[in-house]
Amino acid sequence: MSVTVVAIRMLLLIGLLLAWEVGARLANPLLYVPPTAVVPAVRELLALRSYPDLPAHLGLTVREIALAYALAVGAGLGIGFLLAMNRTFGRAWGPILAALYAVPAVVWYPSLMLFFGLDAASKIAFGFLLGFFPIALAVLAGIRQVNPQLVTVATAFGARPAAIFVKVLLPAMLFTLVGGLRTGLALSVVGVIVGEILGSRAGLGSLINHAYGLFRTADYVALVLLTLVLVVASDAGASLLERRARRWTA
Amino acid sequence: MTQLIAIERVAKRYLTSSGAVDALADVSLSVGDGEFCTIIGPSGCGKSTVLGMLGGLVQPDTGRVLIAGEAVTGPDPARVATVFQDPGLFPWRTALDNVAFGLELQGVPRERRRRIAGDLLGPLGLKDFAAKYPRELSGGMRQRVAIGRALAIDTRILLMDEPFGALDEQTRMLMGDWLLDIWRRTSKTVIFVTHSLQEALALSTRVVVMTARPGRVKTVLPLDLPYPRSMESVEVVSLRAKLWHEIRRESLRAMSEA
Repeated sequence: MSVTVVAIRMLLLIGLLLAWEVGARLANPLLYVPPTAVVPAVRELLALRSYPDLPAHLGLTVREIALAYALAVGAGLGIGFLLAMNRTFGRAWGPILAALYAVPAVVWYPSLMLFFGLDAASKIAFGFLLGFFPIALAVLAGIRQVNPQLVTVATAFGARPAAIFVKVLLPAMLFTLVGGLRTGLALSVVGVIVGEILGSRAGLGSLINHAYGLFRTADYVALVLLTLVLVVASDAGASLLERRARRWTA
Repeated sequence: MTQLIAIERVAKRYLTSSGAVDALADVSLSVGDGEFCTIIGPSGCGKSTVLGMLGGLVQPDTGRVLIAGEAVTGPDPARVATVFQDPGLFPWRTALDNVAFGLELQGVPRERRRRIAGDLLGPLGLKDFAAKYPRELSGGMRQRVAIGRALAIDTRILLMDEPFGALDEQTRMLMGDWLLDIWRRTSKTVIFVTHSLQEALALSTRVVVMTARPGRVKTVLPLDLPYPRSMESVEVVSLRAKLWHEIRRESLRAMSEA
């Protein structure tokens, strides 16, 4: 990245923070929480003074995300490949899958809470639901993108189905597949946290809800920033995986 | 010359969404060991289907295809290597690793297959391009990588399906000379499909002219001429006229059907 881009980005960030500070002070500092009020709130949060049991809540949220994502990856890849390998089946189910994906997933959440209760299970289910679709659809889209000529070539050179899968299909669709896995992770994170905000007794989302409900706006913003860090960190992890995968195919 | 390939009365019909298409009807052909046999004919005459059958990618509806006396039942990379019109290089592999692909499938250890592939890049004129990816190569270079991939597994039979069809004329002529050189040094048996009279006359020991669909063998023309051949020599010019006479009517028929 060029120095100019970094410099411009820095200037933009500083400008935004300044505008936020000035705007919040001119309006209502309690509602708009200027950055100078957020900094002490973040310090309080990290020092475990505002929410002493933060580690337990954070731990729960991370575990929920991990489980939801693991399930989404397993089911997304499994069902995706099942539909992709079986043409008739895939053609029958593909549009249904795409239509379900188009429905705003949050409409399912009330029924998930009814099925799975107020605790972790409903959050995991929601994170799974959100993460599943982009992964399954990426598999379907990825397989469609594979140039059939490459499969013919591999067959002519004696490749068996397993070798065709590993040496042709996977690398050819990797870009799309990893993109889907990355989107799936982001959505699993969103699902779990939104689930917690919508109704829970524990987890990062429940803390956000608590701070917001009690009008502790500075604490609320600090928690949102923490969530942001969590999301960015998980996406950074995913992009690391993406680079690994690309090296593996080379 | 001993017979290596025998195609015995094969026929093939494809089912498409617009009905059945007879690609081949009763084709028989025998090719000797070490021959450079060119198949020429109008579009859609089933030339590629014949190659597909030799490569084990297409099964005939009737008749049989024999290589060294054994029926072909599937791809056999120990005996047959194919170069396709669309080179079909793996975009995520370097030129070197594309050439080594067949060896990799056969379980040749990494160091050894890279050495074999590396040694091939020199004569392919790709010495400095080992680490390049297909997108960084020109059309002619890509096709040479595809030929390298076929040569790397060192088969007795090399099938080439219009390998230079997508290249410009000058590149085509150079690639033809180069291929001729490879063929003469390795004494492989080459089955070469083309649209080009020029290529057929410059390269082959024998030209097989096929009819318009459904494809049959119309004429077999032996070319008993020394290499390298001058396209202006009296023999070649008269053979060219003869060949064109054979192909013209079939091409016209194919055109009026298309």
